[in-house]
Amino acid sequence: MAQSSTAPDLGYFHGAHLGPPLPIGTLVAFSVAVLAIVLVACLSYGALEGSADSARRVTHTLEVGEQLRALLSTLQDAETGQRGFLLTGHEDYLVPYTNARAALAGEFKAAHALIDGSGEQQRRLDSLERVASAKMEELGETVALRRAGDAAGALAIVRTNRGKEAMERARATIAEMQREERGALAARQADWLNAARISSIVVLGGSGLLLVLVAVAAVRSSRDYRERQTQAWIRTGQMGLSARIQGEQRLEMLGDNVLTYLADYLHAQVGTVFVAESGNQLRRIAAYAVPEGTQHLTVQLGEGSVGQAAKENRVLHVRDVPANYLDIGSSLGRAKPLELVAAPATADGIVHAVVELGFFRRLLPADLDLLARVSASLGVALRASKDRTRLEELLAETQRQGEELQAQQEELRVSNEELEVQAVALKESQSQLEAQQTELEQTNAQLEGQAQVLEQQKDDLFHAQAGLVERATELQRANQYKSEFLANMSHELRTPLNSSLILAKILADNKGGNLTDEQIKFAQTISSAGNDLLAIINDILDLSKVEAGKVELTIGPVVVATIADDLSKAFEPVAHQKGLRFSAVVDSGTPEKIETDRQRLSQILKNLLSNALKFTEKGKVTLQISPANHKSVAFTVRDTGIGISAHQQGIIFEAFRQADGSTHRKYGGTGLGLTISRDLARLLGGDISVKSTPGEGSAFTLTLPIVPADAPGARTADSGAASAPDSLLHPDSPAVAETPAARITLARPALEDDRERLAPDSPLILIVEDDPAFASILRDLVREMNFQCVVTHSAGDGKAAAFLYRPKAILLDMNLPDHSGLSLLDQLKRDPKTRHIPVHVVSVADYTHEALAMGALGYALKPVRRDQLVEALQRLEAKFSQSRRHVLIVEDDERQRDSITKLLENGDVQITAVQNAREALAQLRMSTFDCVVMDLNLPDFSGYELLQQMAETGEVSFPPVIVYTGRSLTADEEQTLRRFSKSIIIKDARSPERLLDEVTLFLHQVESQLPVERQLMLKAARDREATLDGRRILVVEDDVRNIFALTSLLEPKGAKIEIARNGREAIDMLTRSMSDPARAIDLVLMDVMMPEMDGITATREIRKRADWRKLPIIALTAKAMRDDQERCLAAGANDYIAKPLDVERLLSLLRVWMPK
Amino acid sequence: MAAENTDIELRLLLDAIYLKYHYDFREYAAASLKRRLTNAPGRFGCETLSQLQHKVLYEPAAFAALLSLLTVPVSEMFRDPSYFRSLREKVIPILRTYPSLKIWVAGCSTGEEVYSLAILLREEELLERTLIYATDINPQSLQKAAAGVYAVDRIAGFTENHRKSGGRASLSDYYTAAYGRAVFDKSFKRHIVFSDHSLATDSVFAEVQLVSCRNVLIYFNGDLQNRAVGLFRDALCRKGFLGIGMKESLKFSPHGQSFVELVQGDRIFQKGNEP
Repeated sequence: MAQSSTAPDLGYFHGAHLGPPLPIGTLVAFSVAVLAIVLVACLSYGALEGSADSARRVTHTLEVGEQLRALLSTLQDAETGQRGFLLTGHEDYLVPYTNARAALAGEFKAAHALIDGSGEQQRRLDSLERVASAKMEELGETVALRRAGDAAGALAIVRTNRGKEAMERARATIAEMQREERGALAARQADWLNAARISSIVVLGGSGLLLVLVAVAAVRSSRDYRERQTQAWIRTGQMGLSARIQGEQRLEMLGDNVLTYLADYLHAQVGTVFVAESGNQLRRIAAYAVPEGTQHLTVQLGEGSVGQAAKENRVLHVRDVPANYLDIGSSLGRAKPLELVAAPATADGIVHAVVELGFFRRLLPADLDLLARVSASLGVALRASKDRTRLEELLAETQRQGEELQAQQEELRVSNEELEVQAVALKESQSQLEAQQTELEQTNAQLEGQAQVLEQQKDDLFHAQAGLVERATELQRANQYKSEFLANMSHELRTPLNSSLILAKILADNKGGNLTDEQIKFAQTISSAGNDLLAIINDILDLSKVEAGKVELTIGPVVVATIADDLSKAFEPVAHQKGLRFSAVVDSGTPEKIETDRQRLSQILKNLLSNALKFTEKGKVTLQISPANHKSVAFTVRDTGIGISAHQQGIIFEAFRQADGSTHRKYGGTGLGLTISRDLARLLGGDISVKSTPGEGSAFTLTLPIVPADAPGARTADSGAASAPDSLLHPDSPAVAETPAARITLARPALEDDRERLAPDSPLILIVEDDPAFASILRDLVREMNFQCVVTHSAGDGKAAAFLYRPKAILLDMNLPDHSGLSLLDQLKRDPKTRHIPVHVVSVADYTHEALAMGALGYALKPVRRDQLVEALQRLEAKFSQSRRHVLIVEDDERQRDSITKLLENGDVQITAVQNAREALAQLRMSTFDCVVMDLNLPDFSGYELLQQMAETGEVSFPPVIVYTGRSLTADEEQTLRRFSKSIIIKDARSPERLLDEVTLFLHQVESQLPVERQLMLKAARDREATLDGRRILVVEDDVRNIFALTSLLEPKGAKIEIARNGREAIDMLTRSMSDPARAIDLVLMDVMMPEMDGITATREIRKRADWRKLPIIALTAKAMRDDQERCLAAGANDYIAKPLDVERLLSLLRVWMPK
Repeated sequence: MAAENTDIELRLLLDAIYLKYHYDFREYAAASLKRRLTNAPGRFGCETLSQLQHKVLYEPAAFAALLSLLTVPVSEMFRDPSYFRSLREKVIPILRTYPSLKIWVAGCSTGEEVYSLAILLREEELLERTLIYATDINPQSLQKAAAGVYAVDRIAGFTENHRKSGGRASLSDYYTAAYGRAVFDKSFKRHIVFSDHSLATDSVFAEVQLVSCRNVLIYFNGDLQNRAVGLFRDALCRKGFLGIGMKESLKFSPHGQSFVELVQGDRIFQKGNEP
């Protein structure tokens, strides 16, 4: 239908210039109408023309009549005027006459014009004209007469009636003319009426015809219009729908749009859209006002109207909907649809969807038509949408799969990373565990081994112990046996020997005189051999007694001079006999008497003297008695004999041994003498020492206390034997060897003290007091207060002991045998090492003022009470036990100084704050500091100079220095400072913390350890090595620590150190040194790893210059690899040394590469 | 049997490498080495580690390639931003009190960490008085590190990390990007010494205030870890700082007691008073 209606339109447009402008029917109808109108018009025109002519004639007749009336009136006016004048004579009455006379000619002229052509009327008008002129003439005459005064004449004329007659005639003529004209008018009116009737008839006929034609045209137009409106409605519907289905819409949305639009457009009350799916099934995709829940969501093909429409592919129209079909509801009520229509949507003959609509109204064909027409476009759209929907679904699926893949990948990555992390962690923990396990295993194994060894050792020990016990018992027994045996033996031996000796003596005396000289000599020999034998037996007996601790000492006053006399009496003859000089000398100052066992003293001295005489072939033997110190006396036996070599000096005191096997053979003797002598000497509280040079002689010195330390006799030989060797060993112990000052030999004090059993935890107090009695009181008191004490009796010993033992405090006497106590105090206070030790003076002499001025803590005048001494000791204790540390702050800014003081201040730290370098030096000279905190900017001279002065001045102690500065430092400055200060702190937000930390560190360091080291480093100039002295070494190194280490190693040896921090600086420096021979570099120590230019490159660069081909370069490398070292050599280094530097190796390398 | 052979071969290979090239991997964590070497023979066209050993002995080029395989050059800038944040907040204020600074980045790999530290120091205005020693055993990595050139697609991650680490400025202030690469500011290099240094064989070369050695120890076995930590301890000044990787610990090291953990989570340690 749509096609058939649109085709002619197309034809019309295409054939516009060929065919008729209108359809034939319409054209004929229009032609008839045109003809009818033309006819009617013509007829009407004729009729109108006739009536118009008639009307014109009527008008003409009326005009003529009017004109005639005007003529008559004019004539009457003239007559009236004449009559008035005539009567009155006044000229005023004459005006109408005059006017009429003037107008009359015109009137006639107009009348002539009107009736021109009409013969009869013309003739009558001419006669009228003549009458009128006659009348006028008569009037004129009368007027003229009256004017002339002839009123009577005038009246006479008038009485002639001539004028009256003329007037009469004129009236008659006019009336006749008017009659004539009225007749003509009637005729003409009749003609006009006739013409009008004809014209009406024509018009009526024409109108009827037109009416018919118009009716026909209207009917036709109406039909066309309706048709067009329907089409337009359908087209609008189609277009509207197209608009709705445009664009990419999802199926459901499309269905909704279509349904909403169609229901709206078609005024449907209810609707659904079903879309065809696979398997002959239709699925509802949209619903319009369908009650929820009840309706089918899917229908089969052929099922119901929808299915049927789909199956048949045509619009199904259901007119009578069953009563229970479907309720359409609103909130106001419900009703059933009157009609239903199911329209398929088709594309390419395939039904894609069905639209079902329900209506309350009857459907019109146009509705169905529209539904049929939209089928195709709907079908296409639905198909497209269906395709799109499927495509979208596929895309979504793909997307989902992609995402899934991505997710899996992510998960994989995550789990991979986790695994890696876990693996690393596991591996780490595993390796740790493994390592631990291995360690444990190893430890275990070691422990097991050790346990075994221990077990073994324990067993061995047990065995050994058992053996030892056994041996000991055996020994004891054997000893007992031996002693018994010896005792018995000596007895047994002495008895026969005694008789032999007596007999020999008798024989030698030769009382009978019967013996030959020879025989006498034999008897003398027997006697002397017997005496020797007896001596040996006695020696053995003595020794065994001494060893068994069975020696009884008889202590008593012994006059030294007597001993000397006795001995010289005894030995002078022997010496003389041997051709030796002998002398016994008692030095002045030797006490007259000593408390000792006279017999044992003689025994020792005799032994020594007889030995001396025995081993001396020529020269002299002397006994010198002198004071060893104020506590003891030395008996020195000197000879000019064969001497004893150093290594044998130790063994000569051992029992049954002699210096040399050959000696024994040559000089005889048991070799027990010295052993016994020494043992006895120790028993007496003294000792024997030996000094000897082989070939020149020996000096044996017996030192004996003037008064034995212990109550005489109470002391057994046991303790003497045990402690004496220790005291001999002591001066050689390593602790003493360290300090040069300790080499000063310390004399043994007259009374026993704690020097041999110093415990580290108890404070040590040094007593310097020459009076042994008072010293022992002090010692006892000191011990009572739980201190240890070392007692010395002279200023020299006191000083040495102060350096050696570093006591916590010193009790000092003023009157000392060698120097005064004041001088000792002065020495102690001048030395940085001992300056801090508090000293309390106890003396008879009153030097209170001087001592206190020198820094003594207190001064007590003898005689002192015990409580005064206790107080003194307490004061000393208070002084040394306070753990107060001294910190010196050198800072010019007052606020800074205060804040640092506050920062560091606590109970243990005593702070001295000064504002310039001079004050700092003064403070350093005066007292000891544990630490110095120093600013670099000082008003008098800079921190550098201060440090320099501190280092140069020996009298100033050099505590650890912390440079605390607000200035950032250049590398050079830092390097300079590093030589003096290990710690440089730049002031910043966190620096107080670091300062506190560093200060605390230094304060708790072992006292004076650092300064000593530092001082040694700074002034070790004496230790110059010939090779290095005056040589210039360029150290190319960027690490401050290494630079410092090298500088402090090489500078004390006299080397001049130049420093470059990288290869470039090194080359610059070498170039500069070229120009000044005094600054020529002898050797380069080249670090490898440096900024800007590394050591390898620098070495290569240096070797490029001919002047420097021979310059020794030693590479310093942190790398242990062979090829790295080879790289150094390849670059031109002469040698290399690995870090950390081995000092000896470095020095030998320097000697090798820098020969003098 | 095969596993045993592999173990033997591995040991021999590492010995060979050490004897020939003086790179000591013998103390590296065996499990990690084995994993890294599982596919190594195939890559070099060998069937077994023994063959690879032969090849490595006679072809130095093969060794260079193997070296890259043995070391793990994986890093990023400001890796674990919280570590750098902690450095910034806890360590830098103390480093500020030193007149000059030395920092040792041990195992610097391709240099990301080095530049990260340099940037951090520049932002804290400390770089001018700082020298950073960046050491690694792999010369190829060192070359890359010295070049300071990174693929531009990594920069986004770096930037994010830098921001998270508390970066003061934009990371882009420090690099120039062109042709798909980003070059870090050359001026950083004035303060960095790149050097070949092995924690397994070489010794301490300088005193430093901070050692950053992250995710290096995990590749070492216990002994080597101890050696390395010992080196760090000796190199550090008193109260110096040591930063290690998130998964690393000093707990089991005999030198552990020399250090106090300063920032718990970020594995920053401070050397204590006692040496």
